[in-house]
Order: sequence, then structure tokens, then C-alpha cells
Amino acid sequence: MRLSGLPGFCLSIAFVVGAATTALAQSSEPQPETRQSTIENAAGEKAQNLHPYEVTKAEKVITRIERRFTDQTIRWHPYLENAYRGGGFAAGAGYMFHPGDYSTLDVRGSYSIRSYKLAEAEFISPRLFDRRGELEVLGGWRDATQVGFYGVGINTSKSDRANFGFEQPFGSALLTVRPTRRLFMVRGGFEAARWDLKSGQGTAPSVDEVFTPESLPGLGTTTTFLHTQATVGVDSRASSHYARRGGFYGVTGHDYTDRDDALGFRQVDYEVIQHIPILRETWVVSLHGLAKTTWQKGDQATPFYMLPSLGGGSTLRGFSTYRFSDQHSLLLQAEWRIMANRFFDTAVFYDAGKVAARRSDLDLNHLKSDYGFGVRFHAPFATVLRVDVARSNEGTSLVFAASPVF
Amino acid sequence: MRMKILTLVSVVSIAAIAGVSSVTATSPHFYSDDPLLRAPEPQDAGGAAPSYLDLMYELTYNLFALPRHKPSGVRAQNTNTIDEVPDSSWFTNRIGTRALTIDEIVRGPNVGPPPDPSRWVIWRGKTSGSHPGITAKDANGETWFLEFDPPYYPTAATAAAVMGSKIYWALGYNQVESFVTTFDPKRMEIHPEATLPRPNGKRTRITRADIEAVLRHTARRPDGTYRVFAGRMIPGKIIGRFRYEGTRPDDPNDLVPHEHRRELRALHVFGAWTNVTDYKAENTLDTIVTENGHPIVKHYLQDVGSSFGMCNDIHTWDVGWEYFYQGGLTAKRVASFGFALSPWQTVKYTEGPEIGKFEGDRFDPRTWRTHAPNAALMEMRDDDAFWAARRVAAFSDDMIRAIVHTGEFTNPASEKAIADILIKRRDKILRTYLPAVNPIVTPRLENNRLSFDNAAVATDVAKAPEGYRASWFQFDNATSERRPLSETTSATTTIDAPRDLPTAAGSFILVEISADSKEHEAWRRPISTYFRLDLDGWKLVGLERMPDRPAAPDVRRRAAR
Repeated sequence: MRLSGLPGFCLSIAFVVGAATTALAQSSEPQPETRQSTIENAAGEKAQNLHPYEVTKAEKVITRIERRFTDQTIRWHPYLENAYRGGGFAAGAGYMFHPGDYSTLDVRGSYSIRSYKLAEAEFISPRLFDRRGELEVLGGWRDATQVGFYGVGINTSKSDRANFGFEQPFGSALLTVRPTRRLFMVRGGFEAARWDLKSGQGTAPSVDEVFTPESLPGLGTTTTFLHTQATVGVDSRASSHYARRGGFYGVTGHDYTDRDDALGFRQVDYEVIQHIPILRETWVVSLHGLAKTTWQKGDQATPFYMLPSLGGGSTLRGFSTYRFSDQHSLLLQAEWRIMANRFFDTAVFYDAGKVAARRSDLDLNHLKSDYGFGVRFHAPFATVLRVDVARSNEGTSLVFAASPVF
Repeated sequence: MRMKILTLVSVVSIAAIAGVSSVTATSPHFYSDDPLLRAPEPQDAGGAAPSYLDLMYELTYNLFALPRHKPSGVRAQNTNTIDEVPDSSWFTNRIGTRALTIDEIVRGPNVGPPPDPSRWVIWRGKTSGSHPGITAKDANGETWFLEFDPPYYPTAATAAAVMGSKIYWALGYNQVESFVTTFDPKRMEIHPEATLPRPNGKRTRITRADIEAVLRHTARRPDGTYRVFAGRMIPGKIIGRFRYEGTRPDDPNDLVPHEHRRELRALHVFGAWTNVTDYKAENTLDTIVTENGHPIVKHYLQDVGSSFGMCNDIHTWDVGWEYFYQGGLTAKRVASFGFALSPWQTVKYTEGPEIGKFEGDRFDPRTWRTHAPNAALMEMRDDDAFWAARRVAAFSDDMIRAIVHTGEFTNPASEKAIADILIKRRDKILRTYLPAVNPIVTPRLENNRLSFDNAAVATDVAKAPEGYRASWFQFDNATSERRPLSETTSATTTIDAPRDLPTAAGSFILVEISADSKEHEAWRRPISTYFRLDLDGWKLVGLERMPDRPAAPDVRRRAAR
């Protein structure tokens, strides 16, 4: 542990003893006659050179790193979240402070290698209703420069990629309540966001070069949505950020209202997660199912950039982000997780899914699929780093994430 | 590398003090007051300052740096010349040295009355550790640390803490006075100055909601009260933790590097027996107390509650079987997709709400593991383990059952199961460590006859050897030179001494005693015993069970894995 002070001490003791014994050999001092006096002499010599423990450099570094992760009073912090999925590696910083004992206000921003920009402020109050509820209020602005769009439907080609960009001021509030503090949860919230579509950047053509506003609802528009949502679920996991047992079963309803009554729609998400430990968590079979289905409001259309989509690091990992989009989507994922030690898991996984124009087409036929292998570094209740290598018929993808896949 | 330097320097400096080898050519091998029965602590340690070792740093160091360290193989440095640990601010010889009654063991460290639970005034919340706790004053105004049972293991955690304190007290360690008592939230008050650290960095008053949040994660009785473990506040001024490596640079009496203290090395054996897996600085306490008129630092093993069936939580099974991280095992599991199973994955635990998970059938004291490597435990040699095993052997079945009874279990079957497992684990420890070295103990030279005991045979874990052999030497205490006298043998534990033993008072003899055993090769390696002729006869002044040499390769590998 703190070795730096210790060798010094021992050297001093060695010096003391060595000096003492040399002196004895020279008969310049009386030889100790008892074991007791020998020890007393050594203690007396040490008493001349007492000093407090010295904290080593290694201890300082580790303590600093530990504080970064655990000490919630840290004000400046790194922020690596992207403005929007598919933006590539992002870096940024945040400044967090505490309006109350437990609540936090975090003002942060990031910039990605694809020039995605994010500036936002998030307020979290985690102990409402006698620690049964949590309120998250988020507001900010984002700029995404090259979001991929491959056309609508399952039979699109990877080479069909076009890019679009958007700027978006947004504000939302989300309240999660667990009335019994465990299992049963309800969540409700609203969001106001303005989608200001613009031409896409990057190597792929811009979406407005490939499609027209008539063929692609929402193209070239600026639309302000009022989004309300409600979730009812049963959650038996110890944490949604890392779990080896338990599950989540929930339904979420969304209503997107366009103030111009042109692009409003409704959506319902059905989600099932179940972790099945085997042989004292030697292995965990983790299953995930997610179906998203939309309804048009009257003659309004669902904007292409808000269609349910598949592809990317948390859905079909072997495909590009937003690779498949349509009115409805179905995602099925299975992982066989191997617990290598308390901080490290590996996983073999299989993802399958499809998008469809009609709800009745959300079946198990003609699913797009991938498979792969992943490693995860984690704490008891949080995933610190997930690296997945996924293979599909469109190539191999490498996923880096600081969250579980589901 | 640092450990090697540390070890070398330690050996040079401490050997002179410890009394197991000669200081210089001009120093006597034995002093007139050898063997010391109490280690002197003559200096004023009142200036020692509070010091706390960062938990994450200690864990990181122990998991990732320490495993590369090869044990030095040097003898424990705080033993006296007869290979025993003298009393000190660390350790008091109790079981195995003197006859302890069951009543004494059951009373353990408790000297004062139990808490009066008719009123609790909360002083402080607990912010660390695996089980919830609070600090409170009882109706008599005395301060106690209260720890609760988790809801899924009612009784088990509080019982483990109480039982552990009795056992470790009997073994010789400084322990907290501990009781099982009751906490009734209706009779609870919160002291107006009691505060808790909040995530915003401020300390604010503890509220009833804070206490309710603690209680929400604990086992509640049907009548709304809670069973709690109460540990009396340790006397003296608390100055932080002790470390399992090095010495306190601010304590003049702390001369022996802690990894070379036998009683700390021996925690590998005691931990294996009781399943105390969490030896870390945070579970220790150093306090300044006044003894013999001046302040000294007293060292406590403060928390031995993660023990017996309670070291594994409800969804963990591996504690006691492997470190939190072992590179080789991780690689094996990854390469085999998890099919390279470890024992904990299939072991049949005795499980129950009052027990946790405990077992003795597949228990192996040598492969038993703490949470993380620990410098002192890694330095344990077979002679340290032998010393520890003799103390474990001193616990009779009745003593063990009496100690387990102090856990105040509601189900007699739980109490019996834990006691049975402890007895089984004790026996495995004796079978493992007592025959592993030459087990000759308590040599006496009287009436021209040398008598001794065989600890392995006496505890019935080994067959008596075919015979014993004693090589006799005249020993020059000033020069450490030896002159052979003769060799005598016997089929029993009594051997005739040669007729030509010195007769002058103050003469020394060396007797090397070995046993001829086909089963136990180690018994052929003699122990060296030294006797001095005093006015009342030959007195044992020296005993060396194993030479001071690098540990055998298999021991190094085992410890470093």
C-alpha cells in the first residue's frame, strides 16, 4: 500500500540497528543486556524520526479517479454523449451542481467528429414522493449534420443511403414513479421540440437530392412537435444499466402533435426484457423484444425522420444506424452472457428484426439478422464500457457504448 | 520490486529486534530475558495522527499489483525466541495458551453491560459497508454502532457479527464488545446535531426519512421492531485504520512490518475457518489508549461480520473461493465460454435465511480465498499456519456450539448447521496444517529426560511416527557455535538425555528433534530447541520450527496465484 514511507522507515531502522551493532562491536557503547532493552532502543530511535503517513502518487491518482465516478459533488466533468445517434465519437464537458441535497443540475455540451453539436441542461430530482419518484427535466439544442436515411421499408439497399441534417431546440419533463418502490412503475412526460430539417452533409448524397417532399413526408420542413408519453411497466431488475436477473415488461404510448396538423401521429412501444441466470449466474441468457407501431392521425403523415427504425449499436448491431425505417418495427435480441469475473462479461449475441408498412406484417418472416461477440466492463449496477463486434450480410460493425444493449 | 526491497530491509532491521536470530557476532543468541512474553511498547505514541487508506486504492493495489509479489519466505518477525507471539497492543494470548472456560469464551470481549434498547438516539448514519447501520446512544447514554440484518437473511448478519467477535477475541485479537439487541423505531429519536453527508457535499440533519430509508432494506420483525447487532464504541481516540503492510510511521512502537506479524499472517487460517473474507484496512481500527502510564496505539480487528454464511450475498456464491479478480480464471472462463467451472459454481451450500450460504465439505483451507490478496496473508508460512492451527484446535466442539449459541438463532436447526460446519472446517484445518511441518511442541527437559508432545498426533489428525530422534549439542550463546554431544532415540515422546550434559548454571544446549514418519516427510526435518540451565533446571529459551529461508516454490505459487 503506502510503500514509499515504509522503505524509508525500514531503512532508518536498518541504519539504526546497523549503527548500534557496529558500535557494539567497537565496544564504544554498552551492549544491551536484555531483549527488552534492544527493542526499547529501536523504538527510541524510531521516535526520533516520526512522521505521518505519506499518500503515494498511485493512491492520489486512484482516489481522484474514484471521486470522478462516485463523488457527486464533482462540478466539472467530461461528457461523451453524442447529440444524436450516428454522430461518431463525441467529446465535451459538463458542469454539475446541486440545487438541493440530492437534486442535480447539469449544464453540458459535446462536439463529435461528424460535427454534431449538443448544448443542454438537465435537472434531476431523484427522491420525490418519499423516494418513490424521479423527475428529469431536460432542455437544450442539438445540431445533427449527417443522419443516415436509406429509404422506407425492409428491402432498401445499403447503397441507398442519403443524409439529412437537422437543428433542434428541445425541452422535456419526465416523471417516473414506483408506487411500491419495486416492480411496478409508471412514467409520464411531455416534450416540445422543433425539428428544423436541412440538407445532409458527408459522403452520401443529401436526402433532398434523392427524394421530394411529396415522396418523403417531412422533408424540408420545420415542425414543432408536442410529444406526450406514458409508460406502464413491471421492472424486477436491480438496475436498468446492468442486470443479471429480473426483467422488464412495459408498454409506452406516445402522442406527437404537430402544431400545423401535418405530421402528427401516435406510437405504441411494447417492450419485454428478461434475464435468465443459469448455474449461479455462470451464464445469463438475456432476451429482448421490442415492437413499435405507429398510427396516423387523420390525413397527417408520419415524418420520415421519426419512423420506427432499426440498425445501430443497440438494435441490429451488424447494420448501420437507422438502416431500416418504416411505420412499424419488430426487434428480437438474444444474448448468451458469460460472467468472466465480477467486473467483466463476454457475450455471444444474435439480433433479428424487421420494419414493415403494415402492422400485420410484423411477423417472423424475412427478418434481418446479425450475430456477434461482445465484451462488457461493468460495476454492480452499471455498464461502464460495452464493445460488440457484429456481423451481418452487409458487413461487420464495431460498437462502443457506455450502456447495456438492453 | 518494492516488496523485495521492503522485505530485504525489513529482514535486516527487524531480525535484530525480534529475537529469533543473533544480532551480530558480538551479540548473544539469547538474552537473559528471553523468551519475552509481552512485547515492550515503551514510547509515547500520542502524536500518531488519523490516517485512512482509500478503499478503492487498497482494492486495486491488492487485486492487480499484489498478486505479482512473491512471498518473501522469511519467518514472522514478531515472534519471541520460542516461536510464540508475545502479548502486545495487537494480540493477547488466550486460547491455546491458557485454559479458557466456555463462559469466558461466550462472554468474549464484553466487559460492560448490554445496551438498554428502551430508547435509541441516532447520532450518525453509516455510509459504507455491505449492511446498513447507524450509530446511536442507548437509554443509558452509551454510544453503540448498530448493524441490521438484510431482509433476505434475517438473523444471519447480526449473528455472524456476534459469533465472529467471540471467536476472534478468543483467538487473541482486540475486538469490539458486541451484543444482539432490539431497535424499535417508535422509541427512536434523532439527535438535533446528527448529520449525514449528502451528494451535494454538505452534511445536513438526519431526518426520519433517512432512517426509514435505511430500515427499508433491513429485516423487520412482525411487531415492527428490528433485531440489531450492537457494537460498543471502542475506547480511546480513534486514529484511523491499520494496514496489512508496512508500519505506522507515526507510531514509535510499531517496529515490525505488518505483513511479518504472525498474528496477521495467521488470519489466513482463522479467516478460512470462520469464512471472514474481507480483510481490509477499512475493517480495522487504531486507537490511542493509555497503558502503563503512557499513550500507545491499540489495533482492532473491528469488523469480522462478513463471515460464516454471510460473506456471500443472496446472489453471490464465489466469495471464499476466489479473489474478486484472478486473471487466469478470467481467461479460462472466456476461452471456455464459461464451461471451465470453478468449485463455487457447483458446491452444495447449506443455505437458509438464518445461515446465508456456508459449507464445509468441499472447503479446502489452502485454496480458500479472501476478497482480494492481502500482503500479510500472502506471507504466511507453514510454521505460521501451524501456530494458527493449534489455536483452532483448542476450540472444542462444546466451545464452538456455545459460541454459535450466542448468535441467538430462532431456529435450532440453523444453530446446529452452523456449528456442524464450523467443526468440519476446524477439522480440515487441523488435518491440513498440523502435519505439514514437524509438529513437535512443548519440549521439556526434566530429570535428564526430554519430553514433548506431537500436536498432529494429539489432535488425532496423524498417526504416531515410528520413532523420535534427538541430536544433542552444547551451544555457545555468545558465538552461536555448537558442539555435538550425542544422539538419542525413542519410540515415544520421551527421550533420554545424554549423561554428559553441561552442569554449569547459564550453560546452553541445543536439541534438534525430528520424527521418523513414512507418511510425513516434513517431520524428518528437525525443530531446533534451545535450553538454558537455570537455578531451577533446564528452561526452554529457543524454538525454531522452520529455518528462515525462501518459501518453497509450491508455496510461492500457491500464494501468488
